[in-house]
Amino acid sequence: MIARVLFLGLILGSGVAFGGTTPVPRKEAVPAARTGSESVLRVNSTNQAYDFFRPWTKKLPYSRRGLGVLIEGGRILVTAELVGNRTYVELEKATTAEKCAAVVERVDYDSNLAILKPAEAGFVKGMKPLALDSGVRVGDPATVLQLEPNGEVAETTGSVTSIAIGGYPMDGLGLLVFRLSAPLQQRDGSFTLPAVRAGRLLGLLMRYDARSQTADLIPPPVIRHFLEENAKETYGGFGRMGVGFTATRDPQLRRYVNLTQPGGVYVTEILRGGSAEEAGLAVGDVILAVDGHNIDQDGNYEDAEFGRISFSHLTNTVAHPGDTLTLKVFRGGAVFDLPVKLQGRDRSKILSASYVMDEQPKYVILGGLVFLELSRPFLQEWGSDWTKNAPQRLVYYDAFQNEISPDRGKVVFLSQVLPSQDTLGYESLENLIVTKVNGMEIKSLADLSEASKHPVDGFQKIEFDEDPRSIFLDAGSVEENRSKLQSEYALPSLEHL
Amino acid sequence: MRLSKIEVVKGVRLPRLTGMFRLLVPASFFFVIAVLHASPVGRSLVRIEATSQEPNYRTPWNPGEVSGGVGAGFVISGNRIMTNAHVVSNVRFLTVSKEGNPKPFPARVLHIGHDCDLALLTVDEPGFFSGMSALDFGGIPEIESTVSVYGYPIGGSKLSVTRGIVSRIDFQPYSHSGMDSHLTIQIDAAINPGNSGGPVLQDGRVVGVAFQGYSGDVAQNVGYMIPTPVVRRFLKDVEDGHYDRYVDLAVSYDSLFNPAARKALGLKDDGEGVIVGSVYGGGSSEGIVKPGDVLLKIDGLPISSDGSIEMDGKSVQLAEVVERKFKGDRVELDTLRDGQPVKLIVPLNQPWPFTLHSNAYNEKPRFVVFGGLVFQPVDQNFMSAFEPADLRLRYTFDFFVDDRIYVERPEIVVLSGILADPINAHAGDFRYGIVEEINGSKIRKLDDVAAAFAKPVDYHVIRIVGNGRPIVLERRAVEEARGRILSRYGVTMEQNLEK
Repeated sequence: MIARVLFLGLILGSGVAFGGTTPVPRKEAVPAARTGSESVLRVNSTNQAYDFFRPWTKKLPYSRRGLGVLIEGGRILVTAELVGNRTYVELEKATTAEKCAAVVERVDYDSNLAILKPAEAGFVKGMKPLALDSGVRVGDPATVLQLEPNGEVAETTGSVTSIAIGGYPMDGLGLLVFRLSAPLQQRDGSFTLPAVRAGRLLGLLMRYDARSQTADLIPPPVIRHFLEENAKETYGGFGRMGVGFTATRDPQLRRYVNLTQPGGVYVTEILRGGSAEEAGLAVGDVILAVDGHNIDQDGNYEDAEFGRISFSHLTNTVAHPGDTLTLKVFRGGAVFDLPVKLQGRDRSKILSASYVMDEQPKYVILGGLVFLELSRPFLQEWGSDWTKNAPQRLVYYDAFQNEISPDRGKVVFLSQVLPSQDTLGYESLENLIVTKVNGMEIKSLADLSEASKHPVDGFQKIEFDEDPRSIFLDAGSVEENRSKLQSEYALPSLEHL
Repeated sequence: MRLSKIEVVKGVRLPRLTGMFRLLVPASFFFVIAVLHASPVGRSLVRIEATSQEPNYRTPWNPGEVSGGVGAGFVISGNRIMTNAHVVSNVRFLTVSKEGNPKPFPARVLHIGHDCDLALLTVDEPGFFSGMSALDFGGIPEIESTVSVYGYPIGGSKLSVTRGIVSRIDFQPYSHSGMDSHLTIQIDAAINPGNSGGPVLQDGRVVGVAFQGYSGDVAQNVGYMIPTPVVRRFLKDVEDGHYDRYVDLAVSYDSLFNPAARKALGLKDDGEGVIVGSVYGGGSSEGIVKPGDVLLKIDGLPISSDGSIEMDGKSVQLAEVVERKFKGDRVELDTLRDGQPVKLIVPLNQPWPFTLHSNAYNEKPRFVVFGGLVFQPVDQNFMSAFEPADLRLRYTFDFFVDDRIYVERPEIVVLSGILADPINAHAGDFRYGIVEEINGSKIRKLDDVAAAFAKPVDYHVIRIVGNGRPIVLERRAVEEARGRILSRYGVTMEQNLEK
């Protein structure tokens, strides 16, 4: 897989040389072939993320500019990353630079897609919506659209080099990806670009590697699934089986488990509370077929439209949450059918979420002790080498969360101390996981907030699962100093739940 | 206690460690460097040349690379030469020469203490010690008093002496073992590779043994010596002909400054007492001291709330009491448990799980090669050689003591490498995996691996922690491949289970 080079780094700031070279002469396509300005809009999004170290503050706002595509219903399709943590989104017409605020109708970070609507209904009048492409094969040409500063559409034509399942940026969910080989130029506003084929939308570009000149597209089947879910009364998103599997290429393994049937994948991990677990699938099972599609030893089936691709496409994209899939399973020498009711992911049950967007992280500040709930964005504040640099015990909780009992609840920890009279001697404490407060078990920040209302003998007793094991605060003094602490550290609030 | 983020670089053996001392800052030679042929100290000093062989944990069947180093030593009573352990670790051949006389005399190691970085040598050739004079030991020098460091540091081949003052007396990590901390004296005289093992003198008596420093780009004019309480302890420990290592309370404690905490624990506002955080398994205090106990006195000495005590008129960490004791000795703790005073007696021993995190010397790497798969127990030497990024392995290693992993798994055995062959073509994903089970037997130590593979089975089945798919090797295929793999990869032995 190519490195996750996002357009964020490459294309923001028009002064940055593209890949370190001077622009090559333009290869203009024939004007008549243009799919064009009547179907695309500039989308300017100002975004602002919370500071996960100090969740009562936001970081500097930044803007992302991309191209959205008009689809039916007067709506505009963009990548979710373009509008992630948005504060203000605006649409701009390519040629006239006429602007209009946009409302986000739906954003789905798993599939990296979002639907916008102009705040003024008439804004897109006269424009032409694009329909979704179908039937593309590896080797077919495809055209990526960009805009010149004057609003003219610049086309770069490349070809589809692979159609396969790939990890999506935010949650690593495996969905279909079209890979394109196309020599894109550095142009302003290229965070999300549409790709077209014969006047139809082939996908949205979600990442581009300038060195290998390859672009990854969110393809029509993923977009279609997203739009279908959006049309439902309750948005179900993308389902997942919740299984980890590996190839059965190893002949010694096949002989050992007596697997005489061709193909099949070996189940290595079952997500707690996931669809496969509910259905009774187990580690060591071999999945031979999904909904009648036989699976080869690498996990691929023959798709009518796209050829040999991973069966994850069937479970994650073709099927919707709520659907029932039938697996053909090999277990202990026997083969049987196993119905699996597909579920979406209940994000509230995740121990450490891989992303937290559009919401303020929770926190509780007690007498200057700052308590947080573990999430990966917190760990990622340590930079790209966070698995090495972030507090190791928290990294392990994140990494091995599927091995932890669901009864564990959230991981609440003391992230830092804002020194005050009450925290004398505790200044250097940081990143300690809380087990109990005033004798009550802590499984969420809400638990902690509640427990802190019941001091014992005038003390707030906080217990950790590592040194110093337990500390005390004078409950009366903490209560008295609340407003002082708040004003001295300019804290808008002492808790956010 | 947490170590500081600055890494202490061994200030030691000449050729090997020059790379660590990236540059010799001239400014660190503020003090006079003189060659002293005729000084009385010259009759006690020796130059040590050591040839050592360090095993390579990546090819554990090979005997290892041979290298040479230079250090200093000095004669003490009983025809013995004192130096640093790191000067003579992994040594295969050792010579010493007297100051001013280039003739080398073969020497041998009598005792070596890796946890305190001290060693004793002797020379068997009659007459070597005649004309040499043994140095005597002094006490702890005063802060700001002047000391002289003798040795053979880089910059020339003859004896050099540098002079400095005593800057600080504190507990510091000893980088040779990487996990021990003892009393250390910081001086501002330069201590460079080759100074190691040399005496630090004041008024004609040894007040320390030079042993480590910072490389020039971290800090300047910071040198460390092993003070005489540590040296005397080492000498006393070996009196019975055997070095037993340090003993430890094996508890962690935290300061007690917070007024609310003091009140909650029923303590007076007198600035005394520390609170016990962890009582480490397998250590002296297990089952005697409890987390949450407040330590008030150690052997009758009052403990300040920062963990310091007053000993011989100097403020030192409370651990210093234990530091001067030996295996089987007892320590008396006055504690407050649940508000009640309790007297505890702790018989002292060495907590074994900790040694996993200590650099090991004079040991042969242990391993088992089977079907081209290499199995090794994980220890600090292994981690330094491989630097694995694997999160599960790092967790298991880092939290081996804290999370009592040693109870279930006295050794962490991993699949450390794959000598590629058609029979193991599908095992690549399992590198650095911790071995859970082989042929139905739980793997708790490396010996279990050898025993499990000896079972008569048709399929050898290896299960890795956190991976649902087993590695399967057919017995017949393994037997066929055996000679082929060993000869192709130059594997001279299939296993070594002895240290």
